Parts: sequence; structure tokens; C-alpha cells
Amino acid sequence: MAEALLVQPDTAFIRRVVAAGGGDLKKCMQCGTCSAVCELAPEDAPFPRKQMLEAQWGLKERVLADPALWLCHYCGDCTARCPRGARPGDVMGALRREAVRHFAAPRWMGAAVASPRAVVWLFLLPVLIFAAIAGWAPKGPATAEMEFANLFPIPLLEALFFGVSGLVLVLFGWSLSRYLRALRAAGYRAAVLPGLAPALREILAHTRFARCGQHRDQRLGHLLTLWGFLGLGVVGTAVGIGTMTGLMRTPLAMGSPFKILANLAAAAILAGVLLLLAVRLRDPARRAAGTYFDWFFLLILAGVVATGIAAQILRLIQTPAMYAVYFVHLVLIFALFLYAPYSKFAHLVYRTVALAASGAGRGG
Amino acid sequence: MAKKVGVYLCGGCGIGEALNLARLEKVAQREAKAALVKTHPFLCSPEGVQLIRDDLAAGAIDGVVIAACSPRMKTEAFQFDPRQVLERVNLREHVVWSHPPKDEDTQALAEDYVRMGVVKAQKAEPLEPLAEEIARAVLVVGGGLTGLTAALEAAEAGYEVVLVEKEAQLGGFLAGVRERFPAAPPYLEPAPDGLQAKIQTVRYHPKIRVFTSARIVRTEGQPGAFQVTIEKDGQSVPVRVGAIVMATGWKPYDPARLAHLGYGAGPDVVTNVELERMAAAGPIRRPSDGRAPSSVVFIQCAGSRDPDHLPYCSSVCCLVTLKQARYLRRENPEAAVYVIYKDMRTPGQYERFYRAAQDDPLNFFTKGEVKSVARQADGRMAVRVRDTLLGGEIEIPADLVVLAAGMVPNAADGEAIRALEDAEIKRVKGETEAQRAEAARKAEQLRSHKGTEILHLSYRQGPDLPTLRYGFPDSHFVCFPYETRRTAIYAAGAMRAPMDGAHAEQDAQGAALKAIQAIEMAVRGQAVHPRAGDLSYPSFFLQRCTQCKRCTEECPFGALDEDEKGTPKPNLYRCRRCGICLGACPERIISFQNYSVDMIASMIKAIEVPGEEEEKPRVLALMCENDAYPALDIAGLNRLHYDASVRVIPLRCLGSLNIVWIADALSRGMDGVLLIGCKWGENYQCHFIRGSELADRRMENVKETLQRLRLERERIQVAELALDESWRLPALINEFVEKIRRMGPNPYKGF
Repeated sequence: MAEALLVQPDTAFIRRVVAAGGGDLKKCMQCGTCSAVCELAPEDAPFPRKQMLEAQWGLKERVLADPALWLCHYCGDCTARCPRGARPGDVMGALRREAVRHFAAPRWMGAAVASPRAVVWLFLLPVLIFAAIAGWAPKGPATAEMEFANLFPIPLLEALFFGVSGLVLVLFGWSLSRYLRALRAAGYRAAVLPGLAPALREILAHTRFARCGQHRDQRLGHLLTLWGFLGLGVVGTAVGIGTMTGLMRTPLAMGSPFKILANLAAAAILAGVLLLLAVRLRDPARRAAGTYFDWFFLLILAGVVATGIAAQILRLIQTPAMYAVYFVHLVLIFALFLYAPYSKFAHLVYRTVALAASGAGRGG
Repeated sequence: MAKKVGVYLCGGCGIGEALNLARLEKVAQREAKAALVKTHPFLCSPEGVQLIRDDLAAGAIDGVVIAACSPRMKTEAFQFDPRQVLERVNLREHVVWSHPPKDEDTQALAEDYVRMGVVKAQKAEPLEPLAEEIARAVLVVGGGLTGLTAALEAAEAGYEVVLVEKEAQLGGFLAGVRERFPAAPPYLEPAPDGLQAKIQTVRYHPKIRVFTSARIVRTEGQPGAFQVTIEKDGQSVPVRVGAIVMATGWKPYDPARLAHLGYGAGPDVVTNVELERMAAAGPIRRPSDGRAPSSVVFIQCAGSRDPDHLPYCSSVCCLVTLKQARYLRRENPEAAVYVIYKDMRTPGQYERFYRAAQDDPLNFFTKGEVKSVARQADGRMAVRVRDTLLGGEIEIPADLVVLAAGMVPNAADGEAIRALEDAEIKRVKGETEAQRAEAARKAEQLRSHKGTEILHLSYRQGPDLPTLRYGFPDSHFVCFPYETRRTAIYAAGAMRAPMDGAHAEQDAQGAALKAIQAIEMAVRGQAVHPRAGDLSYPSFFLQRCTQCKRCTEECPFGALDEDEKGTPKPNLYRCRRCGICLGACPERIISFQNYSVDMIASMIKAIEVPGEEEEKPRVLALMCENDAYPALDIAGLNRLHYDASVRVIPLRCLGSLNIVWIADALSRGMDGVLLIGCKWGENYQCHFIRGSELADRRMENVKETLQRLRLERERIQVAELALDESWRLPALINEFVEKIRRMGPNPYKGF
């Protein structure tokens, strides 16, 4: 028999989970209805009944290292059927927030992104960077038509963003190594690498998500956002490499395949995010459970796409306002990238690893 | 005896269409020798009833037989002077509604019922109610919340009340708690006890005499006239009361038996009662070092719902724990409170209190089984719990461990005390060595009952109330609330069943009303539940008594005392009129005015048994009139048909079955006897507790009768039936008759 667990509740953790959208956590009486109705919970390790109790009891290390947190898609089936109004779905969301914050490296970044008070500083950094670029960076000869490159030299931007992306990858890796250590310590020993392929297949298809009963629009919104994001990722990387190597020049012609893909992807994200926002706003309890953490990510994402589309339209009709909008666009992209490991964005990475480590992607 | 019996046949409800009433009239007149026979198409109408009243008033008859619907129906219409004999013949439910109309066998069935009804009426005596002087006073034993409430209720209803409390103060257990768990909306926070006002009201109530620091040394007599001797300050005070409410409350389960949960492992393991006393005296401190505890583990069901300890749930411990958790959390906002439960039981609105406790971030709840409670080197306790909801074994370090132990009734087991006395005598006076050894062993087993009596009853069956289960003197609560097996002594509060204050108050009201009812029934000479209103009572022809003591031992209500020789000394106000004594008596010397061995035997003899050549079996069905007989009525109401060979005689209780009736029936040539009583055993439904069980035991003796008559054992069948099982009856009856048919006729036919 396993060694007895020494119970030492992390009371600050309990209070944080309650504050972070799990306000009804303590109402759970452990009937297990949630686990029974959850379409996603594996039979041999059902959730979220157990996670509710572990959270109630302040067993932070245990619950945050539980891959089950990331197997949940927050569809709300459990919340809809909870006889006690404990809203397990919202608690799982709050626990995911706590997990992102807990494994964040460096920790102060995690704390800063999670804290509404730090928002000014978080945006001040990109604002200063892009103001400096606009003000002092050496620029090429002005073109006849107004182009963003006239104010923001593209190769410099690309270099900056590739640099930031590299940094983000390092930070993600750092955070993930913490998470993996915690997973291993908690006894989840399945090899991650062989699990990655099925996990990614699952993520791209959202097949598990399709089993959720409540809030069916959510899956579509999420799927559109994900695919749009991937599309932009492909375009961004290709165009970045192209412009830095001089093979491409922006602005691309509207008919270029990259441009078409980029616009389609942007539209998909916009539609997806709007759907997700609508789901969130339709359910009053969910609206209340939504926190700064969620809004931070969702609004930045929406902002990036909205300003991107707006900047393109303004460029096409050639008004100087396009520079201001583009500036905002750049600031938001920067924030989206740099703060990804500490914002809701991180769920993409954690979920992939959790799926791989728990084997849930492998038909589980 | 009714000499001039008038038979009134009703033709309504389909009886007239299904039966040949003219032939029935002839049977009543010529064969049964009725003084008068009349038929009316609608007998329960005012005109029909007036017909009977006129004949009675004119003196034409002194006994009435109404052949119409079930005796359970139209009781108000057919109500005459109780001093005139009244018998009902059930032609509707048991004949025309359950058998084919205009049928030879149906007609024969009706004719037999008329013969039986008339002969019973002819044998019956008019009823003369008991009329002794009844004390309109209630004794309440115990001055806790239940006793105070019962005393006030009875006093406010106008009855004199005597309240006896053994402690110097009134208020009982609840007077010593810090707070009570909420009993009023919104049920979220514990509330102050509110007991003091009630104590003052009782203290100064003009109709209540309070004896504190007092005890009862003797209770003699019977309902309506109990002679109770109270001892206070070395002085004996006699009081006369009509009924008694037992409100002696509870005591905590002996914690010395909870060593497996750490009790005794150190000073920091306490019971919930000990914690409550600590809380009432001041802030809660660790007994070992006097510091405020920062981690407290409550172990629920400590010794409860455990076959080795208390097998039952005490119903309050969960709420007490929630309340005490509230104390701890209020005193120390950083204190963590853990609750290890089997199930949290917070019925009704108390669920809100549980929810409120759950919302506290530092209250931790889990189901689990405590594996060990041990003291660690640092002086703290370590509680190990297995089978938790967390999915494994956990260990909780605790400054204080609280055992939520259950309630044990403050009640004595009168029958056990009596058995102990008998065993002690037999230990000395037993005839053989083996008998003496057996008695010694039994006495040892019952040792703990010595000196536990509270009422000191002078009853032959023991000096206190008999208990039903787990030492509680309750009767069957669902059917007979507050009843004990001692008439006019009612149990209320935690001594009846584990309960909280709010329920104890309701219980006290109910028991006080039952006590008042018992007194008023006694004033009118009527029986109490379940034959409420019955004016008949047993009489004993003692010249022929052989002092066999069967009646005094079998009476479920201890109505019969004994003189030195063992002759029964009836206490008629204690009697519930079940007739079990009548069934027990081998000399057949016990009879009621309208229910006796001879009367039933005469009814059996009135049944016409067809000869062997006719191939028509006759079966006698003796049915408990509380469940089986009404169930047969319901079968009729639902038009369920069954074999017309069966002749039903209702018995007050199957326990009143005298086996001579079976011998009578079989020697008359009847082919089988079916006995249907209530369910007995663990979840008995017998209205007289042991009646159907006793009947079953009497079957042993019947076997001898059958052997003597050289008849098959299968000719007699005993069945148990609940009131809601009327649907079973047709098959039960038909299968039995079929079995009898296959067996062939009784060879005694025609003798």
C-alpha cells in the first residue's frame, strides 16, 4: 500500500482558487455526479470529483500536477448537473489558472501576468519598444503609397519577433520542465514523446471536445480559433523568413496565396473568439466566474485580430490612421507572444503535454 | 346473553341482486332461530336505521345482527346503545363483491355467514363499561427539554402534572451546552439554547408540581390510577396519576469502549460531550497544554453504526460536530477542522447548516474509516484514515481529536431485569446442577441490568418498560407513535429514539397528547390504541384456573399480575383487549362479553359442512382483524374473486387463537384451516406486538392434535399478510383450497 498522504492544507491556495473563479468550490459534497456525467473523464481516473476534494483540502501539489485538469474542456456538463451548485467546471478552470501560475518560470513573470496591477507595466514595455522603433530606427526610402514599413522597418520587426518567439520557447520549456517534474513526482510516468503525435492529432481534430454536451458552440469557436492561429503561424513564419531573406516584400498583393490564407485565418480567429465570448456572456454564472486571467488572453487575442484587419483596411484606403492602429496591433502581438507562457495561451502547451503524459490522446 | 336477536338484511350495493334474500331470511328465522328478520333495500339510510331503532325501543329485540357491508363500514350509521349486542355480517365485501352472483355456492356462503352472525349475537353479552375513579393527572419523568415540554403541554391542556427530575436543576443535557444547532430559519448559525424561559414557565405553572433531586421508588396500579411513590430528601411523597410520560433522555456512549479510536491514548482525545462541556465553560483549549488547538479532527460515528458498539445512528452527532466546528472556527480563524464521516446526516432543513459549514474554507470533510489515532513524539495526535474520498490513506496531524459518540437511552429493560431476578432465584433453587449452572450463566449475562429501573413498576413482567430494539422502549413508531408496551406509559424524546431538541419537543407534544387520550379513554372505560374505544374487557373464571401462568407471561402489555400461587390478577385498565390471554389459556376460562372461546366455537359449529359425496370442501379461515380481514375487504372492493368454500372468522389478534377451534373445525369435518396474521419478527406489523408470533408458536401444539386425529399437517396453513397485500389474498386462498381438494375430503365428515 502506498504511503499515507500527510495532510497539510495550503490555505492560501484554497482562498486563491475560490477567488479565481472557483467561488463555489466548498459547496461540493462529493456525490460524484460531475464525474458520472462528464463525457471526457476516463473510466479509470474520472474527474472532476476528486479534483474538487483535493482543491477543497488545499492539496496544491497534488491537484496541480493532475493531467485531468487539462483533459477538461470547460463545457459545463458537470456544472449544469451539480445538485449542490458547486460549479465544478468553473473550479477546474480556476485550477488551470493556478497551474499556469504555479509552474510559470520565472515565477515573477507568472505573478505579474496574473496580477491586474501589473498590466500597465506589461504593456508599457512593448509600447516603448515600438515607439523607439518608430522614432529612431533607420528606415528605407519612403514609398509612394503609404506602407507600414515607412514607420516600422519590416526586417527589424521580424528580427524582434523571431527573437521574442525564441525567448518564449525557452521560457515555455523552462515552465514545462517544472510541470513535467511535478507530473513525474505525482506518478504520471507515461513517456511524453510517443504520446505527442496522438495528442496533437486529438488537438487538431477536437474529437474529445465534441463529446461535451453543454455549450456546443464552444467547440466550434475553439476549433476556428486554433486553426486560424495555426494559419497565421504558418503565414507569419513564412513571410518573416521571406522578408528577412529578401525573397518577399510586404505588403503582399491581395491575391497572393499567403495573403488569402492570412485573411482567412484572421477571419476564422475573429469568428471563433466572438463565438467564445458569446458563450461566456450568455451564461451569467460563467460571466461571473470569468476572471482577469481569462479576459487578458481573450481580449488580447481579439484585439490582435481586430487591429490587424483594421490596419489592413486602413492601409488599403490609405489614411495615416493606419500607423496608429498598426502600432496598437504590434503592441498586442508582442504581449500575446511574450506573455504566452503565463497567460491562458499556455493551455495549448500544457494540454498537449498532459494529453501525451496521461495517454488520454491515445483513444483513452 | 341476547335472547331475542333481530336480523336485518340489506339489499343494497348489489346484495339483493346477487343473493336470494328470501332464502336467507328463512335460514335466519328457521335455522338460526332469530326472533325477528327484516329486509330493507337500503339499510344504512335513515329509514333503514330507524327500523332497527324502533324494534330496539319497542323491546322486540335485545340484540342486532346487521347483514350488510363489512363491519368496518357505516359504523356511524349502525351505532346503537353499547349495552345492546350488535353483530355485523359481511355480505357485501366478503360475499357478493368477491363471488359470482346468483350462484349456489355464493348463496351457501351467505347463509353460513348469517348462521354464524346470529349464533355469535346470541352468545354475546351486553357491554357494561368499566367505571373506576380516574386521576386526571400526568406524571412526567425527566426534566429536560422533552419533559419540560410534555409537562407544559399537558398542564396547558388542563391536566395536573407531576414532574420528577433526578438532578437538582431542570433543563437536562441542553441546559449545559454553549449553543444549540439552529432550529429555525435560515438554519445557518448555532443559536442560544432558549431553555431558561421554559424552565421558568414550568417552575411557576400552577398546574405543575416539580420534584427535583427526586426519584421514583414505586409505581403501582394501572392507567387512570397509577400510585406513584416519589422520594425526595429522604421523604416519600405519594402521587396518583392517570398516565405517565417517560422523558428520561439519554447518556453518552461509554467512551472507555472507544480505545480503538484513540480514547485514552492521551488527554487530547475527547468526546463530543466533553468538548461541549469545555466549550460551555470557556474557550476551547487543548487539555494537555492549555493552548488553543489549530488543527482539530472530528471522528464521526465513533462507536455508532457499528455492530460491535451501537448499531444505530444517533442522528445528532453530525449536527453537533458542525456546531462545534463553528465554535472552533470562530475562536481561531486559522484553525483547521477536519471531519471524517461515514455519511453526513443532516436531515431536512439542517442541510442548510451543513452547507454553511462546508462554505468555510478551513472546514475539511471526507468520508473515511479511521485506521489509527496515535500520539506522536511531539505530543500531537496523528489520525490515519483509510478508504477516503481522496483515494488513499491519509494522515492528519491534530492538536485535538474529537470522537462524535452516540446516544444511549436512559431507559431500563424491564423484562431483562425480571429475567435476571428469575435467574438469580433459579441459581439457588434450581432442581438440577445443570439448571443452576444455566441460571448462573444467564444471570451473569444480565448483570448489567441490575438496579437500572427508573419507574419501579409493580408489574409481574418486570419493574420497567420492555425494550424493543437497542434498548429503546419504543413500540412500532410508524404505526403506534409514543406507545410502549405498558398501557398509558408513553416514551418521548431521546429515550424513545435518538433525536435532536426540535424533534424532542414534537415528541413531547405527541406523548403528552397520548397521555391525555389514555386518561380520557380510561374515564369512559374504553380501550386505547389499537382497539381504541372498545368497551369490552376480559373476565376470568378463576375457580377453574390451574395457575399455569401462560396468560400472565404472554400478555404483551403486562396487564396481568399474579398472586403468590400464580393466579392471574387482572388490571383491566392496562388491557388492550387483544385476547391473547384467551388464546393462551388451556382451561378456556378467559372471555370477553363479545369474544370468547365458546362464541367462536359456536360460529364454527354453525357452518354447514357438505357431506363427502357432494365434493364441496369447507375451509375455515381465521383472520387477524387488523390487517388480514380489512385486506380481504379491499380485495372485495376491487372485485377480486376467490373460492367460495372459505368461511372467514375475524380474530382480534391471531395471538388470541385458541387451538381448540382448530380441533373443533376438523372434527366437524371441515377440510382445512387457514390462519392469516400480521408479519412478525424483526420488522413486525402485529398490532399487539407478539400476537402472530405466539400463534405461530401455538401451531406446535396443533401438530399433536393433528397426529391424534391422524390428519395431514398440510390441512393447516399459517400465512403472514400486510394490509397493503390484498392482491395476494385470492391466490393464497385459491391455492390452499386447491391443495385441500387434491388431498381429498376430511374423513371426519358426517360424524
